[in-house]
Amino acid sequence: MNKLRLLIFSLSLVVVVVFMSSCFNNRSTGLEYAPNMYEHKAFDPDQPNENFKDGKTAQLPPDGTTPVGFDRLEDDYPNTLEGYEAASKSLSNPYPLTMANLEEGKTLYLNMCSHCHNFDGKGNGSIIKLQKFPPPPSYSTGTSSRGGAMKDLTDGKIFHTITYGVNLMGPHKYQLTPTERWKIVMYVHELQKLQ
Amino acid sequence: MRSVSLFFGSVKRVFLVLSLFFVGGVSFAQSVSEGKALFQSKCTSCHAVNRVVIGPALKDVDQRHDEEWLIKWIQNSQKMIASGDAKAVALANQYKPNVMTAFPELTPENVKSIVAYIKEEGNKPATTNAAGAVDGASSSNDEVSDFMLGGLILVIVIAFLVIIILNRVIKTFERLLLQKQGVALEEEVVNETGKVQKLIAYLKLRAKNKKFIFFIVLGVVLVLGTVGWVGMWNTDVHTGYQPVQPIKFSHQLHAGVNKIDCQYCHTGAYKSKNASIPSLNVCMNCHNYVQATDKYNGEISPEIKKIYRALDYDPQTKKYGSSPKPIQWIRIHNLPDFAYFNHSQHVKVAGVKCQKCHGPIQNMEEVYQYSPLTMKWCINCHRETEVNYKGNAYYASLIAAHEKLKKGEKITAAVLGGTECAKCHY
Repeated sequence: MNKLRLLIFSLSLVVVVVFMSSCFNNRSTGLEYAPNMYEHKAFDPDQPNENFKDGKTAQLPPDGTTPVGFDRLEDDYPNTLEGYEAASKSLSNPYPLTMANLEEGKTLYLNMCSHCHNFDGKGNGSIIKLQKFPPPPSYSTGTSSRGGAMKDLTDGKIFHTITYGVNLMGPHKYQLTPTERWKIVMYVHELQKLQ
Repeated sequence: MRSVSLFFGSVKRVFLVLSLFFVGGVSFAQSVSEGKALFQSKCTSCHAVNRVVIGPALKDVDQRHDEEWLIKWIQNSQKMIASGDAKAVALANQYKPNVMTAFPELTPENVKSIVAYIKEEGNKPATTNAAGAVDGASSSNDEVSDFMLGGLILVIVIAFLVIIILNRVIKTFERLLLQKQGVALEEEVVNETGKVQKLIAYLKLRAKNKKFIFFIVLGVVLVLGTVGWVGMWNTDVHTGYQPVQPIKFSHQLHAGVNKIDCQYCHTGAYKSKNASIPSLNVCMNCHNYVQATDKYNGEISPEIKKIYRALDYDPQTKKYGSSPKPIQWIRIHNLPDFAYFNHSQHVKVAGVKCQKCHGPIQNMEEVYQYSPLTMKWCINCHRETEVNYKGNAYYASLIAAHEKLKKGEKITAAVLGGTECAKCHY
């Protein structure tokens, strides 16, 4: 009789513990009261949306339009060797070489480029040191896969490369606006001078 | 004496043979190690030994082309294509529009050592596969442990059932024994009702005890009060929320080990309200190359495969299909609509580190909500944080107004921005 009572007691204890632990389950958001303001009706960009064919809220701009602050590089300078050479000839940095612009370029470079190209542009950033990714050529001493020394790369060539990528480097036009790209170009020119 | 000299002679001969062998070995090893260094500095941005990257996989390249051709090709491939070499033109057409860099600085000796390295590397896959197999075994071990856990729970449940059944059997046996001894069965029933009556009588007695009742009531109030208090404090507070995401993306690996800056992927953090979840093209900037095959027995990592599947990308042909599907990540940090929060204001203007609100994100295998995101939490930080007004034009008029006040001059509403359009028209 005592044994059975003990059994029932321990079983009910287990049930209570399981029940209580569900209150602290980290897979759920926990107790919510009137969550209307949390699950609002307005669409967030990262939410699904039935109103569009592809079911996404974040839509691409319509064909032929250009968002404010963006460029249409592909019209004049396509992602080809000819486009690259044309960019080299006729594109130049529209932003003046000032300390403020360089500082901004440096911050952007460290955030966006340094894990491969390293803070000094020598091409042995954190991922390269771990041997997870092949090294890019050094800005100051390397040779470009499209001919010439890396230290002689022009404004247009660097801008074209950041925009479209080359070889194993991916395109960065989706992460960086043209202004930001030009500021990085400015800072890369400084790194080309390193010895 | 003679035997001693003979012995020395034989030792000398053995030594000579050994040293010859050793020297030969060293020179071979040297050219391979030189080739390895050259390969890693000149070739790896486009080539790998066992897979196509930008250019072809280089395994067995020494069998496809003779040495002389390779030296010419590596030193200046464009010249060869221009001269109309059939093999060169075929290669160029196959990998259009990618062009091979010219390496005039590489001597024929350098090229030979690179080829020697490729040869050695090409003969290796058996060992890497073995290592992969070991890894595979360990991962299947994990599955076994899951299975064992389930089994253990099953065994415990069965054990409980057996105990209950055995108890019943014991009871029936006892009853049978009592029947044999001639004891009436009804007695037990009477006993049961007697027990209940006893219990009721006991409770009645207790109910008259005022102290006992007071403690019971106090206990109930305390328990309910605590549960209510804690429950209300934690209502709509999602601290510790850690949902299962569609891809097992590890911030510990990407931000912690690889040291990729947060803003590389969350580009919105410094320029918009939303820190933004990166779209898959950002993943592909690295994962068009990184496939973690060494950890999965030569196969592409299943988590990276999820990216490819979502993008409708074929890693063999490196072509994108026409029906990509977005990955539905689950939002962890969710502010209610009555609160406005802007990432760029905090990240760029105030210079707050991501970790201040998101916790040790670089150590999180799986992200959870670190901060409560309650109003109290926001306000506490706003009370303590000093404003860096230097070099920030936003505060210029404010500082100017204070300078005026210090001098004892009058200030008008216009000085504080009272004539701005949006003060009245909105």
